[in-house]
Amino acid sequence: MGFFLPKRNWVLQTLTFLPVSAKQNFPAMCRCFTSITSCRWAESTDPKAFHPEIKRKDDNIRKKKAGKDRFPPKPFIAFVAGSSKMRAMDNTNNSVANDSFSPLKIVSPPDTPLSAKEWEKLKEEYHHFKKFEDVMFDSMINHHSPVDVAKSLLVAVAKRDGDVEYSYLVKYLAICVFHKDIGEIYDVYNIMKAKYKSLEASAYSLLIKGLSDSPHWKETLVLLEKVKKVSFHSRQNYGDCIEGALLNQERNLAFELFHELVAEKLTPALTTIKLFFDFCQSVKDDHVKNKCIDILYYLRENQIYPDESLMLSIKQWFESIPGENWKGNLTTMSKSRQCCSCGHLLEDINLNEEEFINVKEKIKRDVIEGTDIFRNTSPQELERFQTFVNKHPPFDVVIDGLNVAKTTLLSPSSKTLLDVVDYLAQKYHRLLVLGRRHMLKNSFQWKKRDMDEMQKKADFFFTDNASKDDPFLLYAAFHSGGHCMMVTRDLLRDHKAVLSDSVTRRLFFKWQRGHQMVVSSYLPGKILTFEDALPYDTIVQTDGNTWHIPYDDNLSNRVSYEIPMKWLCLQKK
Amino acid sequence: MHLLNLIRRSAFNLIAPKMTKCGLFLTVPSKISTCGTLRMIYLNKNISKNANENIDLDEWKSVVLSGLEKEAFEKRSPEEEPNIAAIKEYIDMSRRLGKPVPENITEEQLKRLIEYPSVSSRNRYLAFLFSKEMKKNADKEKKKKQQEEREELRKTMENEELIPKSRLFRAIWDSSMDVTYNWKAAQAMSFGQPLIFDMDYNDMSERELQNTVKQMMECEGANRKAVEPFHLYYCNFKEDGPYHKEFLKRYGDAWDNLFVTVTEKSYVELFPRDQIVYLTADSPTVMETFDHNKIYIIGSLVDKTIRKGVSLARAKRLKLATAQLPLERYFNWKTGAKVLTLDQMIMILITLKNTGNWKEALEFVPKRKHEGFLDPSLQQFIHKQKNRKISEQNFKKKLLVEELSKKRLWNGLWEE
Repeated sequence: MGFFLPKRNWVLQTLTFLPVSAKQNFPAMCRCFTSITSCRWAESTDPKAFHPEIKRKDDNIRKKKAGKDRFPPKPFIAFVAGSSKMRAMDNTNNSVANDSFSPLKIVSPPDTPLSAKEWEKLKEEYHHFKKFEDVMFDSMINHHSPVDVAKSLLVAVAKRDGDVEYSYLVKYLAICVFHKDIGEIYDVYNIMKAKYKSLEASAYSLLIKGLSDSPHWKETLVLLEKVKKVSFHSRQNYGDCIEGALLNQERNLAFELFHELVAEKLTPALTTIKLFFDFCQSVKDDHVKNKCIDILYYLRENQIYPDESLMLSIKQWFESIPGENWKGNLTTMSKSRQCCSCGHLLEDINLNEEEFINVKEKIKRDVIEGTDIFRNTSPQELERFQTFVNKHPPFDVVIDGLNVAKTTLLSPSSKTLLDVVDYLAQKYHRLLVLGRRHMLKNSFQWKKRDMDEMQKKADFFFTDNASKDDPFLLYAAFHSGGHCMMVTRDLLRDHKAVLSDSVTRRLFFKWQRGHQMVVSSYLPGKILTFEDALPYDTIVQTDGNTWHIPYDDNLSNRVSYEIPMKWLCLQKK
Repeated sequence: MHLLNLIRRSAFNLIAPKMTKCGLFLTVPSKISTCGTLRMIYLNKNISKNANENIDLDEWKSVVLSGLEKEAFEKRSPEEEPNIAAIKEYIDMSRRLGKPVPENITEEQLKRLIEYPSVSSRNRYLAFLFSKEMKKNADKEKKKKQQEEREELRKTMENEELIPKSRLFRAIWDSSMDVTYNWKAAQAMSFGQPLIFDMDYNDMSERELQNTVKQMMECEGANRKAVEPFHLYYCNFKEDGPYHKEFLKRYGDAWDNLFVTVTEKSYVELFPRDQIVYLTADSPTVMETFDHNKIYIIGSLVDKTIRKGVSLARAKRLKLATAQLPLERYFNWKTGAKVLTLDQMIMILITLKNTGNWKEALEFVPKRKHEGFLDPSLQQFIHKQKNRKISEQNFKKKLLVEELSKKRLWNGLWEE
């Protein structure tokens, strides 16, 4: 949108200075307008939408121009938190978010309580709504109206109907919970208890949330049991119960609830974990301390990274432990395995023997063969590949030929691949390039000369054109052993998703971080840089006297296949 | 009284945001008296500030609780399991909140509901039942209306005198149409071009299976009404399998009278391999023309979660030729998967078989998925880009052929 604003101004200016004679240009002008507001109709008037070929050419021309202007290409970063978000920002087609026309925006709640008659009048004003009260309550929740205003509407409804509907009660309860009006919440709770035998999920969670920091907090445990009977437990409900227990110094109960929550295979919210560290500060009890350490181990086992506020809580908790004198620093890690602030060696990213074999087997079983071996390849081809791999000694680098070749459109594919192979051949001993059969045909993109030159420096394996090459890439890398690297820009998410269990997925991701090299930027004949794999594992880790905890800062939006880059380093002095 | 109100209001404004203790503002209960009319006049002048003076805000509680004493609580029958009763109660409460849940739910549906492993899947199932119920109710109302209209018509008809009209034909009833269709289908059984449905997809969910069977019924109906029907084969059909059960449930006794060949055998056993073409959207080859000597296979598979390459893998295993419809060539594709439903597929094939016109046949592709037909000039342009070499070769060939034919002509002329 912001990109288009100047354009729009320009259009407006030109329109205002348009002479009357320029009538032929008018449709074109209109087209400019329509392309600003991205609606379907506008898409159909866009000439490029009709001519995909022309579009591609345009892009090529633009890219070529960019090459002439010698802008270095934006580096491709694989696993750093927030990089995929940046890429998405680059790739979006400046689409305008359409404002949905919601009734909640039309109806604005009054700011003082009204009498029943005044409510009637208001209702007549909004007579086109089917259920005025529903809409009104919803907009009150949206605007966070004071409790008394909502109450006055309830009075009006009760006077008119002699009863209050359940849905109004729940919405009123939501307003009370937002304002933490405990007396009201308890009254509504009692009315609901008297009126209905059981409630549904939203009312239960509202009540649990509302009662957790009140004298009636024990009731929340009863409510939690009730939820379990008819529906599924949610981590939010558990979190509220835990909060209630901790507020009332019932630490053991809170830990019990936490274990229950983990046993239900729910992942606790980070705010819930934060509560423990906040409420267990300066406690001299070894039992409580060990329980908190257990939570840190839980984070480690499940690859959960704290956010900034939780990280600060953890830091404070450590520093508040009496008689241990912990000191916390915030650092970033260098490319080496050493922590910048204390020089401690971080954990190695390589998998151990057992894990490595496990992942290798799973890749063969799930990724290559899958439910139907013919989907990715064929048995003959698999056999051909296995004999090929067994004949050759282990490789040092496995290259995804097609992926690397398509990094840029500025040069023919074979030239790009040749540059990368040349570069890697200087550093590594044995290279394997995986490709498809069509690369062998001499064409503009795949020049026979380049291919022949590459064959001298690397081994090649070509799959059928209808097969997938990524599974073979993975298998070749695993077959060569723990030292083998692979080169591809592909984030391999689809193959990770096929793996059958979450433990293997996690191990695979760990291996990928440690063994995937990415061609981060390439300009033919000028620039060729690689993003090297990380030597250390990004995970909560300890050796007794130090803790290293990676965390997400508030600025970068990390997605699931990225890892945080900032660390909390804790030392015992 | 007025003073108290003033003090309370000023205090209210101070403490309102905090709201830490309840019962701080004990209001003096008072009914709205006759001065309400007066106040209404003020209101009309937009002076509503004083309106909150006499509102008793806790009145609703007493109203609700007094209402409770009047109504006697109805209790569920004690025979039901407590768990099921609780869930029924839960659904009832969800409905009061305005969530999409059905009003009545059978025991069987309840049991299925409990089997769902998560909140979202349960909610989805409940929403499905809700929409089903809504449809049913709407249909009922429609039927009632139609009946009333018919009654009125009959009354008006009775008033007019019925004069017997002379006609050439008697009215054509549906039954006579059925007979004609069945004759044609029987003819197709003996002389028609085979079209195969591959029923070997067994890893579908129950809902997908139901959808598949429904689409197959549509296919059979559309085929029967065609000018020249296909001879339908249902291959790899397992006796008493899930498909069979579903078909029996839907067709009833008509299942045994269908003019289709149902067989447990595979298509590879029935037909020569070189004639078979497996239609799949993942195929690398594009179907150019409809071949009347080929036997086309449609995989009877509905995959709500798109499972790429399942049918292609099957064709690869049996070493069969595959083809996909030339959707990209004829359409500016907009959105949605290029996987079409079974009934759309058969309509396209029937039209191709009878006319050979792609434009007409591809009318059956849903309009929402594309932005209209590509105009031929542009199509040629793209085609040229893709197949420039081929077209060049063809052009040269054409020139050669023309030259040869000219030579022959001249030679022939000379000889004469």
